[in-house]
Amino acid sequence: MIKISKLLLIATLLFAACSTEDDGDNGGGTNGGDNFDRGEMLANWADNIIVPSFVSFQVETQNLEDLARAFAENPGDTELNALSSQYTAAYQEFQTVEMFQIGKAEELNYRRFLNTYPTKTEEIESQIASGSYNLELPSNFAQQGFPALDYLLYGYGSTEETLEVFTANPEYINYIVAVAERINNLTSEVTASWQGDYRDTFVNNTSSSSTGSVDRFTNDYVMYFEKILRSGKIGYPAGAFTGSPSPENVEALYAGEISKDLYLQALDSFEDFFYGVKINGGENGASYFQYLKYLENETDEESITASIAGQFSAIRAQSSELDNNLKSQVQTDNSKMLAAFDELQKEVILLKVDMMQALSISVDYVDSDGD
Amino acid sequence: MKKLFFSAILGGLTLASCSSDDDLSTEKAEIEVPATYSFERNNTSTVSYSGQTTRIEMASEIFSNFLNFDGASEELLLDMFANENAPFSSADLNQSSKSVKSKVAASKLYFSSNTVESAEIRNDFESFIEVQFNEVKENKDQLAEAGKAGQIAQGDKARYVNSKGLEMDQAFTKGLIGGLLVDQMLNNYLSQEVLDEADNRANNDAEVVNEGKAYTTMEHKWDEAYGYLYGDPSIPSKNPNAALSDNDDNLLFKYLAKVDNDEDFSGIAEEVFEAFKTGRAAIVAGDYELRDEQVEIIRTNISKIVAIRAVYYLKAGKEQLANGEYGAAFHSLSEGYGFIYSLRFTHNPETGAPYISSNNVTQYLEDLMEGNGFWDVTPETLDTISEEIAAPFDFTVEEA
Repeated sequence: MIKISKLLLIATLLFAACSTEDDGDNGGGTNGGDNFDRGEMLANWADNIIVPSFVSFQVETQNLEDLARAFAENPGDTELNALSSQYTAAYQEFQTVEMFQIGKAEELNYRRFLNTYPTKTEEIESQIASGSYNLELPSNFAQQGFPALDYLLYGYGSTEETLEVFTANPEYINYIVAVAERINNLTSEVTASWQGDYRDTFVNNTSSSSTGSVDRFTNDYVMYFEKILRSGKIGYPAGAFTGSPSPENVEALYAGEISKDLYLQALDSFEDFFYGVKINGGENGASYFQYLKYLENETDEESITASIAGQFSAIRAQSSELDNNLKSQVQTDNSKMLAAFDELQKEVILLKVDMMQALSISVDYVDSDGD
Repeated sequence: MKKLFFSAILGGLTLASCSSDDDLSTEKAEIEVPATYSFERNNTSTVSYSGQTTRIEMASEIFSNFLNFDGASEELLLDMFANENAPFSSADLNQSSKSVKSKVAASKLYFSSNTVESAEIRNDFESFIEVQFNEVKENKDQLAEAGKAGQIAQGDKARYVNSKGLEMDQAFTKGLIGGLLVDQMLNNYLSQEVLDEADNRANNDAEVVNEGKAYTTMEHKWDEAYGYLYGDPSIPSKNPNAALSDNDDNLLFKYLAKVDNDEDFSGIAEEVFEAFKTGRAAIVAGDYELRDEQVEIIRTNISKIVAIRAVYYLKAGKEQLANGEYGAAFHSLSEGYGFIYSLRFTHNPETGAPYISSNNVTQYLEDLMEGNGFWDVTPETLDTISEEIAAPFDFTVEEA
């Protein structure tokens, strides 16, 4: 027994010692220098998905700001209802761009300013009471964006009750306008950057190194799926990491009924992006799906695209069991939320391990799980 | 002497066969395994597993309160399990961001996409606490009988059991050996998914240390596995086996010592320690194949300890039942219950899965608890479970 293990040890050491240097490069796949047209894929992403998504979203944020101002001018229930329904529409549309945290969006901390939840309600109240606040501060991530509007528009009860709160102190409405305006301004900035120089910077950086656009974007894209979509929308409320469900961590906590729709929209947009679905129609463009297909032709590995597609179906099938209000779902039967998390996590592994290895992209972020 | 000779051959062979290679290969051939678990970088120790020690201390305080019917409560123990509302006597533990609960059934390999089962397992541990402070506590001054919770004598000791004869503290403690320690060690920190995550290999090769620390991420992950076995404060970090016969551990190390004490398995403690040291030295040397061989040794042996103790207690319980020693029998079977629970977290290197599946574990536990539980479990049932547990391992029921 001992002899065998020593022999094995020798064999192993010899093998290890004799292996050549190319173990060192990322994943060591066969496609270090594949001929897939990364530039075409980047152009499709930018021109047919990212830019049109931001353009559509900006229409919504402009509308949101306009309706907030209209409400400020004339604080009646019609105006409040119009504003509230625009909040819902814009929040929904936001799910189509939330994953694009690169370039200007990254620089501005766009996602944190627009969608940090749970929102800090006490601090919102004290800022309103004092009438003094600076929404540009990072310490104010959780006092603005959609979660703050969610609280202000749905946190006080019925339309009348809400109007009562607002008329008691006009600073409430000023705060709503400031938040809506900031959402719109940040969105304009990001959209303008994509419509300006950043598009070319992004598309022309076709390098296959870790600083190339495909590598960097892919890390952001997969991280979004893992941290924002899986953990943020499902995992944290379900208590998947702590074992203690926390319904207060649901997205759109106060509006409630829209939380599942937001999740599903995020999922749809993410999946469409994988397939290169163009926002304005037409045949699908160059995408992760095509890239993986292209690589699959060269090897006879198990089909990664089939696994990823199958898992998207599994996630969707599971989601049909979820209540429209994810907060209620956590409170009534959290195991369904955990089941949703489990399906999402299986996709994380396919994307983060299988897909990224196939594409020879190394993961540049880790789970923050330390003891 | 033998070892020196062996390394000489090894070094010679390696050099001879790779004449064209760079100096990396010579480095690998010269892996030095220290006599104790001490590793340094620039004269600073790189070994750290305080988080594991914290969790082991939290677990100890839970155990020590399980029978404290007057001073403790269901709420207090549930709070200790989750580390909420400053439940511990030590301020350090209260201030810690860690909890036992958050790492129960939480390994990357078995539970990262299996949180539904993970939640069920955590519920089991909470229900052990709930039963103790309800069903058992209510009857603490009554004699237990079939279908009725209460006291039962074992020698001059009073044991407290539920209506099926199960001691909840034993189910909890022995179950936690698997649910927390074995799972975190074998299926989290020693898995390639954790050791090799992201740039861990490249950073380890280049000796990129964690911010403000002396260790690389990979070194630290390995130490965290080490800490779950050797992290009780009564166990010396560098030379843990010196405390094999004298320590305050209530979890895995205690049973490593007991199994090592059985002549059929003597040497197992040394083998596990050697594997931990060699694997850690292999990480320092950047030899990941050697590292992973040690992982296999550790997975095999740690899994075996759980299985040996499960079978040991089923056998003991069977004999005690035959002698009419119900108190002793229920105590043994309760320990056995916890170790069986722990089997679900073992890791067979050949399959990458538990030696005993989750479904089988559930089935065994149900068999034990059927009807009036330990009051009417048959010797045949105990034998069958013992045989099935031992089957995938390389030991016999007799040896356990």
